[in-house]
Amino acid sequence: MESLIEELKAKIIAGFNLEGVTPADINPDEPIFGTGLELDSIDALELVAILESDYGIVILERSVADKAFASLRALAGFVAANRT
Amino acid sequence: MGIAVETAVNQSAIAIAGCGAVCATGLGMEPLQHAVAANASALQRRELVIGKTSQPIVAGFVADEIIGKLRAADAAHADSRAFLFTSAALKEAANNAATILDFVPANRRGFVLSTTKANIEALDKLVRQQPVSAVAQRQIQPAFLAADLAAAFACCGPVQCVSAACISGLSALQQGAALIRRGLADVIFVVGVDVISQFVLSGFNALKSLDPDGCRPFDQARLGLSLGEGAAAIVLAKRELLSSPAILISGAGTSNDANHLTGPSRDGSGLALAIQRALAKAQIAPGQIDYVHAHGTGTPYNDAMESLTLRAVFGDHVPPFSSSKGIFGHTLGTAGVLETALCVAALKNNFLPGTPRLRERDPVAPDSLLVEPREEANLNCILKINCGFGGTNAALVLERELP
Amino acid sequence: MNDLAIHAASYLGPEGFGNDLSGLRAWPSPLKENLSRGELDGLHWSLLSASDPSRFLRMDLMCRLGFMAAELLAVNFDTLTAARREHLGVCVECFTGSLDTDIRFAQTPRPSIFAYTLPSTVIGEICIRHRLKGPVLSLISPDTDGANLLGEAAEWLRAGDAEMVLCLGIEAMNVSTANSISLPENLFPRGWHGAALLLGRPENSPREKTFATGRLLEVCRNLCSVPEHAC
Repeated sequence: MESLIEELKAKIIAGFNLEGVTPADINPDEPIFGTGLELDSIDALELVAILESDYGIVILERSVADKAFASLRALAGFVAANRT
Repeated sequence: MGIAVETAVNQSAIAIAGCGAVCATGLGMEPLQHAVAANASALQRRELVIGKTSQPIVAGFVADEIIGKLRAADAAHADSRAFLFTSAALKEAANNAATILDFVPANRRGFVLSTTKANIEALDKLVRQQPVSAVAQRQIQPAFLAADLAAAFACCGPVQCVSAACISGLSALQQGAALIRRGLADVIFVVGVDVISQFVLSGFNALKSLDPDGCRPFDQARLGLSLGEGAAAIVLAKRELLSSPAILISGAGTSNDANHLTGPSRDGSGLALAIQRALAKAQIAPGQIDYVHAHGTGTPYNDAMESLTLRAVFGDHVPPFSSSKGIFGHTLGTAGVLETALCVAALKNNFLPGTPRLRERDPVAPDSLLVEPREEANLNCILKINCGFGGTNAALVLERELP
Repeated sequence: MNDLAIHAASYLGPEGFGNDLSGLRAWPSPLKENLSRGELDGLHWSLLSASDPSRFLRMDLMCRLGFMAAELLAVNFDTLTAARREHLGVCVECFTGSLDTDIRFAQTPRPSIFAYTLPSTVIGEICIRHRLKGPVLSLISPDTDGANLLGEAAEWLRAGDAEMVLCLGIEAMNVSTANSISLPENLFPRGWHGAALLLGRPENSPREKTFATGRLLEVCRNLCSVPEHAC
């Protein structure tokens, strides 16, 4: 699970062009879309797209996304359970 | 409010000499007007593959039968639907303006194209290593599509191409009118086009902007937009070239919200500014507007924002208004021209369009929202509005001259 | 066309970057035909130390070039009154438009890229940054040097549609992107540049007698190559 969390951190930093942010800066238990990383709604959609292309997970319902994005740890659990 | 208009400047209105269209309702202005009269939707559900997944999409497709017919008549452009659609719309508009075009030499005819992605289908094919004709590839570039069309319709005057997201159509009409006013042409062919493609579908789909069951503008439970495709053409002319009472473009305006790129926090003030500019150019007061044709895409945010704008501009007296995107979808670069052509027909027929696909009105929308179409004897002045990605806004004022 | 007075000019191209006050500077390391987004980052940081970089980092090449061209102008938009900024028009003209980004999107469709598959998005980015609400115009022409911009700006000023106009000429087509789908060079020129000109009426011009005429790219290059204050 820890290695998946690190993998997801790397994808988020790369995918959202978070220059100057290191994996150590991201707290896995805080909300991904809280104020810390200054991500916006397009970034949320971008994450949905990354989940589809990199892990084969298709999210169709907003509520599913909200739960999965509650924190990086929650996301890792979601990915581990649903990846194809 | 607005900018002082220099009285020394010739603010002559520009006349509309003819219209043409091809979209989900079919080929021509006639099926479009039938759909408006019947308050009917021409959106269709098709199972499409977007990327790797297959899903149902409701959109305003141009019928296969029409595409087949256009291809058969112009084999050289068979794989450029952008050219086929524009050509068809231009032919109809030119036909309707034939009497005045006879008197206008080629060097006094100009051309303005409005499009967001031109022949983007060719790009979809190229990235998949599928064959594409040389002309279709060239017409990925909007500038070449504009040049090819201008040549096909003997326009040797100024040629421009506007690509400004969803306000392209109104911006193109504004440019066309300005070119005539500046004395650079006597007639301008304005044509808008966009096609439903993998490119655009995958983009809007990824942004979760589409309503899976089809758009419902100004509906309380609306979920998103529906894409549309097609082309629409309007021939603009110097007023002096027409003999009968004409329909005129008397004012136009654009603005930027300067707020947020992707839209959610728009408070409508940017659109209100564009409207005020158009009214100032037309030298009319808000109270003189008889009807507003909204942008009304059916996204939760857009329609709410427009409701705010209408109240800001018109106060307690919002004129009757409606959205036609339930008929043919959001046709992007075509929208401004297609929807203006629809307004021209409304003025000619004394008929106010309704809002197809609307089931339960959004309580936030002003009461004058028209669900059903109706006849209207007092219809002389229409305000057409569109809003675009990137916070852009445009407004156009159409007036019918009294005999 | 003596109605168009120049308030400021800027230019970014392979040969260097700068404005009409301080002239062109060479890039820290030479930039070639394949300009990656990252290569503009260093310049951005040095100019915008106090501002939020998150928007810039999301932009595609075309928007970054336009955004930087506006930033390089020797004008502080913040000092303009709100009324001035409300009537400041923005127009952009290009040939290849957003095609470089379009190709990338077609190859790897991602929502964050989709917003940039429109040549007019750069107008939105600049208007947000400097809070400009004036008229807008986005043209695609078969010329890469902004041939129509000055004429359009002059028209806006003459008609009273705007008090000042920001004109942008941007080309952004990387060699590798165009080659990846074998686009012919004669129809899809490779290359990149960004140029901006801030224009107003003569009575409002801070410069003594600089009037704009001709094509945008030439005007900007000339002004930035022979600066007022050579350093």
